[in-house]
Amino acid sequence: MFKALIATAAALAAIAAVPVSAQERARLNWVEVHSPAIEGNLEGNSAQRKVLVVTPPGYDENTGKRYPVVYFLHGYWATPEMYQEMARFEEAVDGAAAQGNEVILVMPDGHSKLKGGFYSSSPTVGDYETFVAEDLVKWVDANFRTIADPASRGLAGHSMGGYGTIRVAMKHPGVFSSIYMMSACCLDPMQLTAEQAKAIEAMSEAEVAAAQFGQLAPVSTLATWSPDPSDDGFLKVYTGLREDGTLDPLVNQRLAANSPLVMLPQYLPALNGLEAFSIDIGDKDFLLEGNRAFMAELDRFRVKYDFELYDGDHGNRIAERIRTKVLPFFGEHLDK
Amino acid sequence: MKALIAGALLALLATPAAAQNITAPPPPIPEGITVEEIKVHGASLEGNLEGNEVERQVMVVLPPSYATNLNKRYPVVYYLHGFAIDGKNFYNFMHVPEAVAKNAAEGNEFIVVVPSTLTKMGGSMYSSSVTTGDFRKFIAHDLVEYIDSHYRTIARRDGRGLAGHSMGGYGTWVIGMTYPEVFDSIWAQSACCVSPRTETVESATAMSQVPYENVDNAGFGMRAGLASAVAWAPNPNNPPFYVDWPIRDGEIDPLVIAKWANNSPLAMVASHVGALKSFDAIGADVGNQDGLVRDDTLIHEELEKFGIAHEWEVYEGTHTDKIGQRFADVVLPFFAEHLDKPR
Repeated sequence: MFKALIATAAALAAIAAVPVSAQERARLNWVEVHSPAIEGNLEGNSAQRKVLVVTPPGYDENTGKRYPVVYFLHGYWATPEMYQEMARFEEAVDGAAAQGNEVILVMPDGHSKLKGGFYSSSPTVGDYETFVAEDLVKWVDANFRTIADPASRGLAGHSMGGYGTIRVAMKHPGVFSSIYMMSACCLDPMQLTAEQAKAIEAMSEAEVAAAQFGQLAPVSTLATWSPDPSDDGFLKVYTGLREDGTLDPLVNQRLAANSPLVMLPQYLPALNGLEAFSIDIGDKDFLLEGNRAFMAELDRFRVKYDFELYDGDHGNRIAERIRTKVLPFFGEHLDK
Repeated sequence: MKALIAGALLALLATPAAAQNITAPPPPIPEGITVEEIKVHGASLEGNLEGNEVERQVMVVLPPSYATNLNKRYPVVYYLHGFAIDGKNFYNFMHVPEAVAKNAAEGNEFIVVVPSTLTKMGGSMYSSSVTTGDFRKFIAHDLVEYIDSHYRTIARRDGRGLAGHSMGGYGTWVIGMTYPEVFDSIWAQSACCVSPRTETVESATAMSQVPYENVDNAGFGMRAGLASAVAWAPNPNNPPFYVDWPIRDGEIDPLVIAKWANNSPLAMVASHVGALKSFDAIGADVGNQDGLVRDDTLIHEELEKFGIAHEWEVYEGTHTDKIGQRFADVVLPFFAEHLDKPR
């Protein structure tokens, strides 16, 4: 899924990051935020979450000034470090500031033992959704000079982070006023088959640890959307596999109950209450069909949004578009 | 559903009124109890495609000291009615004034609020739908805000309980999971619609062929199906029902069934564990002769699985024969234990 993205990130990783002066350039602040919502999860994911906070140029000396905040959610398999290497957010924030759009950018750690918490709420993985919408926002507002108001708070994300963006916007209305989904994953409902359930149950801990993207992703989403604290196995998931080899429909019902396409009719007021809503995706992205289906639903329910289909794949233009599209979008819509 | 229909109608000895909705005679009002019948504007219901009333009838039952102790503020129990009945007839049937008086005599005073959510199809399902209206938000926001600004309530989470019977028990689960920050404690009596609703090609076909003009006479079970369909899979482009039927080209449409599942408390629990654990207390009960006992046991087991503390009782009774008594003797005392006291 993310091969292209990983390749891009690896290439960029070769370029050494140049430390920036606090006064003239945007500054990277790597901090740790404690999240009560992540506490007690069964995978042992840390409640001390790494967070990248990028403050704009002039932040240090203009001590009376408060700034709008853009929250950015990274994708599956990745970490905030990988996205920072790929996107170099300090350059993006500098570029925005040069155009009169001074913002603080915040990227929380959405990684988990199985390489992604899908910004959802699971006792097995942790309540990443509440971490983002409540714990993180509260902490950032208390520790940085933000304009602590929804009108000055935006949410964006790529791939799994695009999913997180729409999910959090639906389930926590009134926290973020504008949202931007980049190449969002997981919009239409996933369907687990009895064969897949069997394969997952057969995996050893070592096999899970060594699993490749395509093999691990369905295990991660199951841990996120069909958790089971009473599972005797180490995954703490409910695969729904019965003795007779058939599948309990409850598993796919739970997966459906986490699909934005399925959830949409129940959360229209939240989306209709947004100041601005933008979606984009590359024309060669394997997720295009899911995005098209989701937008057809948005159209049917007359939700207003902007859409751009660009020449690209799932990961090759993300860094560029954060600069040319995402930050200008928030510059236009967030209160300064 | 069949057991539910038979149970409801037999126990009520009610005469079906227009649209086959259940009615009950006005209840005794004990001395000291004040009952106000008000209208609350539902901003969340505006523009619904069924043309359901936006000004909703609400029964408000005030405890004895409310009229005399003008500085005192009271906890509020919001009580949700079931299918094919309105709020007032549910209030009648449950003898809410006597329940409030009885608990007051034991030192537990509450305001009890019974909203009416009757719709064109016979019930809102307490869901959020462009076709029926956003009834989840109507209860959790519009109604709560109105009551807090017009009565001397303890106007915060610790002072609010949510309960309901049958479709109202279902509403208690889904509103509780969607708006956990509003209510301190919840109790579901004989909740319906707990596990995801399914259809066969035959039943889905029958549902999609009900003439719109004939909905009122389609019978309890069919009306309940139609009410579920319009609440859970609305389609603003498909008049007159404004629904996505669960059948398309002769086959069951899995996306519609998925949307229904997304409104099933049983399927919702796994992704709402934090919300459920945030309640001060949860209770659920059902009669052992109620057709819903199996379904309600499933959600009890699901809560157990996720370590969500709750009270649970299967009692000797049907879908309706003990519910009024249990509201007075079990549900209100439960809230007395968990909500903030009048002060």
